[in-house]
Amino acid sequence: MPPKRKAGAAGGTAAVATTSAATKRSRPATPAVDVDSSDEYSGDEEIENTEEGRAISKAVNAFSLDLVPKGNDVIAKRDSVSYIFNKQDFSYLKMKLDHESRPLWINPESGVIVLESFSPLAGQAQDFLTTIAEPLSRPTYLHEYKLTPHSLYAAVSVGLDPNDIISVMDRLSKIPVPPKIIDFIKKCTSSYGKVKLVLKENRYFVESSDPAMLQRLLQDPVIGPLRVQGEGGSGITKEKAPQMGALVIPGTRNAAGAANVNNPKGGRPVEVAGDAAEDLFNSDAVHSFEIPADDVETVQKQCLDLGYPVLEEYDFRNDRKNANLDMDLKPQAQIRSYQEKSLSKMFGNGRAKSGIIVLPCGAGKTLVGITAACTIKKSVVVLATSSMSVVQWRQEFIKWTNINPDAIAIFTSENKEKFRGDAGIIVSTYSMVTNSRNRSHDSQKMMDFLQSREWGLLILDEVHVVPAQIFRKVVHSIATHSKLGLTATLLREDDKITDLNFLIGPKLYEANWMELAEQGHIAKVQCAEVWCPMTPEFYSEYLREQDARKKVLHYIMNPRKFQATQFLIDYHEKRGDKIIVFSDNVYALKAYALKLNKAFIYGDTPQQERLRILENFQLNDQVNTIFLSKIGDTSLDLPEATCLIQISSHYGSRRQEAQRLGRILRAKRRNDEGFNAFFYSLVSKDTAEMYYSSKRQAFLVDQGYAFKVITHLQGIEQLPSLAYATVAERKELLAEVMLQNSEAGQQEGDDFDGAKLSYNAGRKGTRYRRTTGKLSELAGGDDMAYIEYNRSRNKDLKGKGQSSAFFKKMHRENEKRRKEQNALKQ
Amino acid sequence: MPRAVKGVLIECDPSIKAIILKIDKDSGHGYIVEDLDDETLVVKEPKLAELKLRLEKILEKTQMLEKDEESDPENPG
Amino acid sequence: MSGNIRGFGYLESLPPVTFRRLYQQPATALAIFRRMLPNLAKTIVTTLLYNETPVALGDLEALVRPESYREREDAFSKLRRLHIITENNLDVSLDPVFKKNFRGDHHSFGVPCNTEDKKKITVQFLDNYATRQFEAILHYMVGTHNEVKPSEGVITLLTKGGLMERYGAGSQATITKNGFSFLLQDGNPQVWALLIQYLEMAEELGMEQTDVLHFLLMLGSLELGQAYSVNTLTETQKLMLADLRDYGIVYQRKSSSDRFYPTRLATTLTSESGGLRSASASMSSAMVKDAEEGKGFIILETNYRVYAYTNSPLQIAVLNLFVKLSTRYPNLVSGRISRRSIQEAIKMGITADQVIDYLSSHAHPQMRKSLVTLPPTVVDQIRLWQIEGERMKTTTGFLFKDFHSTQEFEEVAKYAEELGVLKWKKSARRCMFVTRHEQIADWLKRRASAQQQQPKKAAA
Repeated sequence: MPPKRKAGAAGGTAAVATTSAATKRSRPATPAVDVDSSDEYSGDEEIENTEEGRAISKAVNAFSLDLVPKGNDVIAKRDSVSYIFNKQDFSYLKMKLDHESRPLWINPESGVIVLESFSPLAGQAQDFLTTIAEPLSRPTYLHEYKLTPHSLYAAVSVGLDPNDIISVMDRLSKIPVPPKIIDFIKKCTSSYGKVKLVLKENRYFVESSDPAMLQRLLQDPVIGPLRVQGEGGSGITKEKAPQMGALVIPGTRNAAGAANVNNPKGGRPVEVAGDAAEDLFNSDAVHSFEIPADDVETVQKQCLDLGYPVLEEYDFRNDRKNANLDMDLKPQAQIRSYQEKSLSKMFGNGRAKSGIIVLPCGAGKTLVGITAACTIKKSVVVLATSSMSVVQWRQEFIKWTNINPDAIAIFTSENKEKFRGDAGIIVSTYSMVTNSRNRSHDSQKMMDFLQSREWGLLILDEVHVVPAQIFRKVVHSIATHSKLGLTATLLREDDKITDLNFLIGPKLYEANWMELAEQGHIAKVQCAEVWCPMTPEFYSEYLREQDARKKVLHYIMNPRKFQATQFLIDYHEKRGDKIIVFSDNVYALKAYALKLNKAFIYGDTPQQERLRILENFQLNDQVNTIFLSKIGDTSLDLPEATCLIQISSHYGSRRQEAQRLGRILRAKRRNDEGFNAFFYSLVSKDTAEMYYSSKRQAFLVDQGYAFKVITHLQGIEQLPSLAYATVAERKELLAEVMLQNSEAGQQEGDDFDGAKLSYNAGRKGTRYRRTTGKLSELAGGDDMAYIEYNRSRNKDLKGKGQSSAFFKKMHRENEKRRKEQNALKQ
Repeated sequence: MPRAVKGVLIECDPSIKAIILKIDKDSGHGYIVEDLDDETLVVKEPKLAELKLRLEKILEKTQMLEKDEESDPENPG
Repeated sequence: MSGNIRGFGYLESLPPVTFRRLYQQPATALAIFRRMLPNLAKTIVTTLLYNETPVALGDLEALVRPESYREREDAFSKLRRLHIITENNLDVSLDPVFKKNFRGDHHSFGVPCNTEDKKKITVQFLDNYATRQFEAILHYMVGTHNEVKPSEGVITLLTKGGLMERYGAGSQATITKNGFSFLLQDGNPQVWALLIQYLEMAEELGMEQTDVLHFLLMLGSLELGQAYSVNTLTETQKLMLADLRDYGIVYQRKSSSDRFYPTRLATTLTSESGGLRSASASMSSAMVKDAEEGKGFIILETNYRVYAYTNSPLQIAVLNLFVKLSTRYPNLVSGRISRRSIQEAIKMGITADQVIDYLSSHAHPQMRKSLVTLPPTVVDQIRLWQIEGERMKTTTGFLFKDFHSTQEFEEVAKYAEELGVLKWKKSARRCMFVTRHEQIADWLKRRASAQQQQPKKAAA
């Protein structure tokens, strides 16, 4: 990523306007914005410098709670301890008489909601709160949520009505809903979700349940003249609001017992919150007027300027232009209740809404995507972060659905296929569709194919990893009616998640990790932070070193940390665990792996070698530990892994911590009696790592995970062949570390898309090898020692030729398809 | 005849010791009377308070604790 | 808990004569039996009570299962220290004074008033009164300003007892480390700590100590809600009433009134479990009901958040000692424990264990449902935060070095060790650190001159 770039230069407003495809398709509620929404890909790009960027922040910030005038009807009662709370003393609020049976407190200033999870109403309250508020923390007893403009926007977009939000909230709250919060909800919801853009039979309609709103738009000097005059005089059509009606999401209980597809709704007094939330989704009638397809973007932009962001919906059941894709879930594919819940948010009124579904790793995000695709039954594009996960996505589609394998094609640097027939699925990576430089002829042809069609659904995997610019490009180059973002966490250290909301859609659902673990859907994990004291030599050098990057190297290469790693690997291998060791730092990754004689994978590892190592890890009981750089953070599906050891990580990234934990959540053995997966984070004491570590854990800790601090590993001194046991060895190691240049202290470059790996596959990663060379000189020409040291386990794994059936089959299929493709071309 | 030197015996872990060594070195050796082993040393008595203060500062800096003032999402400002 | 704050155990340090005097009052004998003896010791006392001849120690020991050896030793040692048993060779008998009064007529249990009070005093009224008075003391200590300010007598008691400190005459008293430890204790030990302090001061005020103690121990056997006659009290005890009123231990309408009412703080003084779980827990408006059910109010989460179901300024002030509080709802406060909040508490003299004890003894019933009440990871972390502040141990003294020989070094080291001044030594470096040097220097001089003599002798 370029370090500094003027916003707009690479596709701000100007680029938007000139993209021809952009005008034809349904685009997100807001035009793409050139904002930096990356967590770690860059820090200094200019943000929100475009006109639209400002418009969005204006639209969002207009509804900050701070701006709601403070009610002057309450005079805070102060007592001897009020000063402790400053402005957060709400003891003056009146409790309802029966407050004990109600589970919520509402903070009138910040919009934070505290939920008593042990209340009998907690279950329903939780469903309700996940819909209207952001979960902040969900440990054992008391959970916290927060009302934000975005969460309310999401609530409105799944069909909740502000008055109903307020009344359900009031029913659940121990105190009457504070007037300021009522104001806040009304203000946020009055503008969000009021205006929808619907593509019906390939005509675009601006739709709203509030006719006054449409009148206001029609009087607008920009929008008014764009209306397509209908038969009626007013140009506004009234019809019944869309209902979920006969739509059945495949794989759900409804689908199984298909007899009763029309849910008897309405008429029943709303008693419990959960049902209430479901019941409230539909209002009675909608009004609409038509606009020409060419002016869609103009209207969207104008609506945003007016402060009414447009919500997109795809009436796929009435889309007659795009061919249907013959695909259904296989009968054995039963989706879980939380997957169903998330999908019901997406298809709540029988149309497809764009948005993001947040599920922990291992909780079946892929199946949610596949089920959505089976519901819409139109052509689909899936974008993943690496070519490895592209392969996995295709396999999953074939595993769970009855799709004809020929109708699902892969577009990566190795494979450039199209599907046959009118409708199909293309699985690709973000970089394949956004990297326009040096595109090969084949790639260009594929891009033309992607850009020439209209797609029913775009599935965006791991949306949190990918910078907003990439999304903007994606949205520009692929014309799609609906978008589904999937992720394990919407965390971004820069809090720029806002932009994803506007680029893809609101967050439709976010699961509760602990609940899924309790129900056995994801593994239970024991988390520990292992404190490794620095040895005096390393610590003195750490204190002396001025170069921040080399400082990093000292705490990662701390011999006590190495020993702890060695001990933990030994301990868990003996228990029968399969272990992944994570290191962001490639120098350390190699040094540890070579010294311990374990296989490792990092960015420069060629694809073939990667596959071979992973395959061995999965199938070979002699290979129980692998070292992964941060390329293993996402997407790698290794259900064999039961233990994680983290030796170096990305500063205080909460997201990386959550992702890494995700690597063991789908452990195959998770439902074994008493099974626990293990997650160790090794930190060098008295260094910056301690600080980063506590920051990193913040998200997981708020999800209810508890990190045990281990200050001493029992029995480590007795471990035979413990490395660096003598001062001489430690000093030698220190000398090696000190010889590294500061680049070695850096972590691996960006690799969110995996494609870079393929580009680099031919090029040997020379940067680090060079330093290994120095090592031999240092060792005084002791060739034997050097060779021993540098012997890579990776090489051992080469040529053993034990390819698993899976890989053999995949290889055969690839070959077969390649031949067919060639045949087609001729 | 052996010599006796007045001072303060400090017993600590090696990391603390390393920091004290650094403080001593950076200040032109104004603190330490005798470096005994990895976990023990003797420093000048009148300088003890100052040493403790500097030690605390370095510990905070090296662990970035100055940034530790938690920002409570619930209670901005 | 801190050793600086003395509770009932203080009595054990009194001389045997005092005990003889104490046991002359049946109420005292009973109070000590109820309050201070472990169950096994009670069994031993009852066994001995109606045996007119001494019982062989072996027979008594045989009552106890061998695996309960430690409990047995504990029981006997308690009985010996309190001078309840006397031993003659291997025969054991009860102290005759104790025995007589423990068995004897119990007329020392206070004399109830026969006449009706003009105004009916209810238990509720007494509870409120006790709460108000005692809470005022605790509030004064944490520095929150309550409507009721404790009397000058109470403040003197607090400063004399080292719980508060006054810098310069007339200045505001501030809480001490001991004071913080005191605050985190349960209610019954708190009351006792104050009363023991009172007992010590009594002598300075010219009151008869045994008299004071008798009265305090008698209070524990009185009945809540019953009025007692002032007339049967000694002069010293009448003087005490005024002070006990200030503490909320007794209620008297006027100082001239001829009747007094013990409050719950009094009647539970010698009861085994300590009637109030904790003063601070009991100080909410619902004090007594909650206290009797042992209802906790604090939730500690694995994410270090603390939620306390309370609106009591006192409870909030106590939590604020070690929790960074952020939001307050009518019946709930929330905050979090952090490295900083704990280390600030430690600086004030509160220990990690006190924090943990407090959290665990006031844990919400929901938390008690779990196998371990408090999340172990948080408990560990609180302890680690304390250890972090104790990473450097310093000792002022003298470094001895440059010894001529290993033999000389070892001899000096041995001598220093005998003197109890050796702090650290390392033979390999011939270095040692001692806390005092004068004697060693002398010894070295003597040794040197002796050695100088020797060669001369040899030469001669």
